[in-house]
Amino acid sequence: MNRFNTHIIPVEFEYHEPRTIREALELLARWGEDAKILAGGTDLLVQMKMRRVEPKCVINIKRIPELDYIREGPAGVRIGAATRLRRLERSGAIKRLFPALHRAIGWMASVQVRNMATIGGNLCNASPAADTAPPLMVYGARVKLASVSGERTLPLEDFFTGPGQTAMRPGEMLTEIWIPRQPEGTGSAFIKVARTAMDLAKVNVAVALTLKGWSAFNVRIALGSVAPTPMRAREAEAALEGRPPTEGLLRRVGDIASEEIRPITDVRSTAEYRREVTKVIVADALRKALGMVRVGGGVG
Amino acid sequence: MTEPRVIRFRLNGEWVQLGVAPNELLINVLRERLHLTGTKYWCGIGECGGCTVLLDGEPVLSCLTLAVDVDGREITTIEGLATGEDDLTPLQRAFIEEGAIQCGFCTPGFILTAQALLRENPNPTEEEIREYVRGNLCRCTGYVNIVRAIKRAASEAAKSRRPGPAAGAASG
Amino acid sequence: MSAGGRFRFVGVRVGRKDGVLKATGRATYAYDVWLPGMLYGRILKSPYAHAEVRVDATEAERLGAVVLTPRDVPDVLFNPRLVSVEEDTFKDWRVLTEHPRYVGEPVAAVAAASEEAAQRALEAIKLEPVRVYKPLLDPFEATRPGSPAIHERIMRGGAWVNVEDNVACTLEYSEGDVDRALSEADVVVERRFHTNRRYHLQPEPKVAVSRPDPDGGVTVWTTTQTIHNTKILISQVFGIPQSKVRVKKVFLGGGFGSSIHTNLVTLVAVALSRKARRPVKIALTREEDMMHDHVSFEMYLRIRAGARRNGRLSGAEFENVMDVGAHQIQPYPLLGTALGWFVSLYKWRAIRYFGRAVYTNKVPSCALRGYGNPQVTWAVETVVDELAEELGVDPVEFRLKNYVGKGDLFWGQGPTVKSIIRSDGVPELMRRGAELIGWRNRPRPGEQTGRYRRGIGVARGFHTSGAGGPLSGSVIDYSGAFLKVNEDGSVDYVTALQDHGGGTLDAHAKIIAEELCIPLEKVNVVWSDSSTTVYDVCTHASRGVYVGGEAARRAAREVKRKILEYAVRILNVAVGPEALRVRYDEELGDAVIYVEGSDAQTTLSEVARTAWQRNWGSISASVSFRATAAPPSFTAYFVEVEVDTETGRVRPVRVVAGADIGKVINPELAEGQVQGGFVMGWGWAVLEDTPYNPETGALENMGFITDYKAPTAGDIPPIEDFRVIFADTYEPTGPFGAKGIGEAASNPVAAAVANAIYDAIGIRFYELPITPERILRALRERERASGENPPRRRGVA
Repeated sequence: MNRFNTHIIPVEFEYHEPRTIREALELLARWGEDAKILAGGTDLLVQMKMRRVEPKCVINIKRIPELDYIREGPAGVRIGAATRLRRLERSGAIKRLFPALHRAIGWMASVQVRNMATIGGNLCNASPAADTAPPLMVYGARVKLASVSGERTLPLEDFFTGPGQTAMRPGEMLTEIWIPRQPEGTGSAFIKVARTAMDLAKVNVAVALTLKGWSAFNVRIALGSVAPTPMRAREAEAALEGRPPTEGLLRRVGDIASEEIRPITDVRSTAEYRREVTKVIVADALRKALGMVRVGGGVG
Repeated sequence: MTEPRVIRFRLNGEWVQLGVAPNELLINVLRERLHLTGTKYWCGIGECGGCTVLLDGEPVLSCLTLAVDVDGREITTIEGLATGEDDLTPLQRAFIEEGAIQCGFCTPGFILTAQALLRENPNPTEEEIREYVRGNLCRCTGYVNIVRAIKRAASEAAKSRRPGPAAGAASG
Repeated sequence: MSAGGRFRFVGVRVGRKDGVLKATGRATYAYDVWLPGMLYGRILKSPYAHAEVRVDATEAERLGAVVLTPRDVPDVLFNPRLVSVEEDTFKDWRVLTEHPRYVGEPVAAVAAASEEAAQRALEAIKLEPVRVYKPLLDPFEATRPGSPAIHERIMRGGAWVNVEDNVACTLEYSEGDVDRALSEADVVVERRFHTNRRYHLQPEPKVAVSRPDPDGGVTVWTTTQTIHNTKILISQVFGIPQSKVRVKKVFLGGGFGSSIHTNLVTLVAVALSRKARRPVKIALTREEDMMHDHVSFEMYLRIRAGARRNGRLSGAEFENVMDVGAHQIQPYPLLGTALGWFVSLYKWRAIRYFGRAVYTNKVPSCALRGYGNPQVTWAVETVVDELAEELGVDPVEFRLKNYVGKGDLFWGQGPTVKSIIRSDGVPELMRRGAELIGWRNRPRPGEQTGRYRRGIGVARGFHTSGAGGPLSGSVIDYSGAFLKVNEDGSVDYVTALQDHGGGTLDAHAKIIAEELCIPLEKVNVVWSDSSTTVYDVCTHASRGVYVGGEAARRAAREVKRKILEYAVRILNVAVGPEALRVRYDEELGDAVIYVEGSDAQTTLSEVARTAWQRNWGSISASVSFRATAAPPSFTAYFVEVEVDTETGRVRPVRVVAGADIGKVINPELAEGQVQGGFVMGWGWAVLEDTPYNPETGALENMGFITDYKAPTAGDIPPIEDFRVIFADTYEPTGPFGAKGIGEAASNPVAAAVANAIYDAIGIRFYELPITPERILRALRERERASGENPPRRRGVA
């Protein structure tokens, strides 16, 4: 407690400002676990003030142009890991193609934080409550990890391994997020329950589904703040898959999701509340997603 | 490389050069070394907006910005908007006249944030205003007069933009 | 003064005088003070909830820091708040202690050339626990025999008293035959309430800068609502004559009671600077601020109240157990005022009161906007609502029939501070508010179905304007003002009163300008200190305008008398000063002094210049003023809420906030106080609390506001749905008819919100805050109990 000091950064470190991914990876390879990547700083510097991390080396990747982009292609959208959330929020492509992600970002923290924080930073922080994680998971996003020895990609849902923990190996850095274009007739939505308009989620949920005829297909439901990592509610998804989304079924899907989660009681909310509210907002989000398909292709 | 680095940035329109340690925060460089104390610390962890400054015109939190990171960039603090009664911006005037200022500790952060809002979106709805400033805490006013002041500054700016029949012909 | 009763400045909207300084970032707060050669201080806080520790600072000293341990500070017990007379002041604090009684209690301190260096030195101090006690976090557990004693003995005034069962102090009181009144009542309601433990979250964390002066004294800049009491306490603790303690007035980034006392940080900074022989600044971080000495009183209240079929209250029993935390910041007078809040809301006719303040190993409680009044009002206004419902009477009418109003004896500040109510806007506020909100057509509890349910609630409240009265009592309350006319006719106004932002000093400037008939710009409010001002107790108890403003007005009158005397000499025609009149001349921007029916006239500037040029001497006045009343400012709030019965979330839909503050001096600022009071009260009602970890005894959030949420701009109703109305009243004892506002603005909010929630869903809550978690649990419990289908099956968004 006497070590906290939010006036200052109470630790000293070496500072590097690489200009290319290559340079950054070399620094990471050299420093290994002792290095931390500074992207937006809104998580890392807070954690340093609270003494949760004390890196010996800070690698600022904000000045690497090849990490800051939004590229729309025929198969989907590629986003550089150091792209700031505010830029994504204002991107027409994101709003048009991935309305749940757009909504989630707009609901995050404050405009000041979104001007600073990056999409890669939000994911690498691996908070169970990360607002960008559930929408990216339901859209089937993949992340690209690079190190001096090469690159690999993996589905975002395999990226999170625990609170604050990811599948990244020492020396690896998240460089890109890829979100596939969703099929015609897809609707998606994001809902968050929090204490105030400027808060971490007590529970957040993103859903996506594709309506073919009267039935829902490709149903994806992801929740945050209800388990050690953002999670998919696969049994709930299965209960809806291929079936007509009747009001009764949507409520049942919510109930199933509520059984799947593993919430805890913490200072933000109780496990009991998280379970109760999951039932409701999963059904709400599904209704909202259906509404979007029905009014025309998920344009938000 | 924990030793100081020399940085150069434009601060309220003038270039400044100084040596900073890697772990120095922008807020402390502004306040303790340059004595620009209008930038306020409330929480230090990004929850309150009190330390908001404009970085290349966009509102950011100076308590979570390393000073080394503003090298080559442009910073505007509250001191950069006006020096006194004579050159107040329309927003500052509206804050004063609408009773949007009480203790005044949140005021610099609010005014800078609102300034960025009006630049991005000159005609915001009340809801857009509330969304934009939700990261600025105020414990005195209940926000009503703050939102009112921002609305007023926006509508006054709109009036002055509209081409009138003749200068000074706008009726009150 | 005003032609035909119209005021030129009082009641007129003008931008606040300090607005330009604040809007341009040029206002200097304690936090902004920087002195050459200044060191930065840090305080070592106890990680133990209750322990005896040994401090080893060898390493910190080796790093070159100035270190302060409990052995370096005077062994003096004190109470940080000086408001009661000495014999009623309980003292149990030390500047630093080896026996910390809560997590966060200051044990040692360091100062070094930078905050980074001070931080390193702080971390080098070793704290060895000699004995660790089990933390007591619940007042009922604390009073159980066999629980560890948090304090063995403390002082009351100059005498030692033993502490039994961790009871800090008690107060009992009764009037009339309560047992009989309750047995004869047609309805009796008994309820138990438990409030939250709220944090001020005042914008500016506490700061002190202390400079040791060559004469052996100190000059201090600090977050304080009272420069004089801070001066006195520093003098008492360090044995420095008061004439050598200069406490400077600086802007205060919000008070709300957080600096109603002298914060420990001030005393630590003084001690460090004296040891270092250099100026020292200690600025608390936000997380320290929440952990230091700084939450509201957590109260357990029990009310048993009865009423008769004729719609009149007949009697009440009131029990108040307060969890005051590890030290006393004047809970003893609060035992009296809590009773005062209770008896001054309604005519109970017979009352019996048991008040008891209990120590626990928690962050000490101090006043927070209302000093217990919001808590008591919440309980009373819930019980009153329930009694009205039991009797089948309209809650508005029931309140109007029973409230304490004009002509009644009023003792809001407790049994030693009594006066008669002379102005009362309650009927007007209740009737207009009811009409504006649509009270008659409101939904009735339990009648709605569907997921989203709306409800309208009402609650009223009041706060005193100061703590004055005809008798001296046990509370200190008087103010002062010094006014001088400069040689060009402008005036300097010197006051010790602090303006936390509410516009107190703007009101004073308007009062002076009005009285002297000069433009507002000619009144300069001087940034003064404790050595150049006459005593004022504190800006608290919503007394700034009522008491301080009256002192300013009296000084202005005294000055005016002298101006007229000089004017007689200049005009050389009038028979005497009483023949002269004064009017404000807008064109001249001056006071014109004239004789009716004659051309003879002069101006204030001419008088001032002549007095200077002819060696007549300065025109000035110094006033010390004690108010002989503490009139209530009334508030009546109507709130409409919407409850989402599936998530338990509640949102404010519309607010009609009515206030009777007498003559409104600063319209836009008074409105802002009401709006701010509502929003703060909303946070207390539905959001804010500081829970403790039962194992460690530390705050669950460790002081970080990530987990102390206050309302944001995104959480309140739109401007057009937030109405503020003022009653058209005039307080004959107040300056230009004014009363206070600060605390009255937030007192009834939790009650109005709770009553609105009840109206929406038919469930009452007896524990604050009323969080979605609590609402949803209560709804589910009711469903289970009644076998009712979950409401969501009946309606869809």
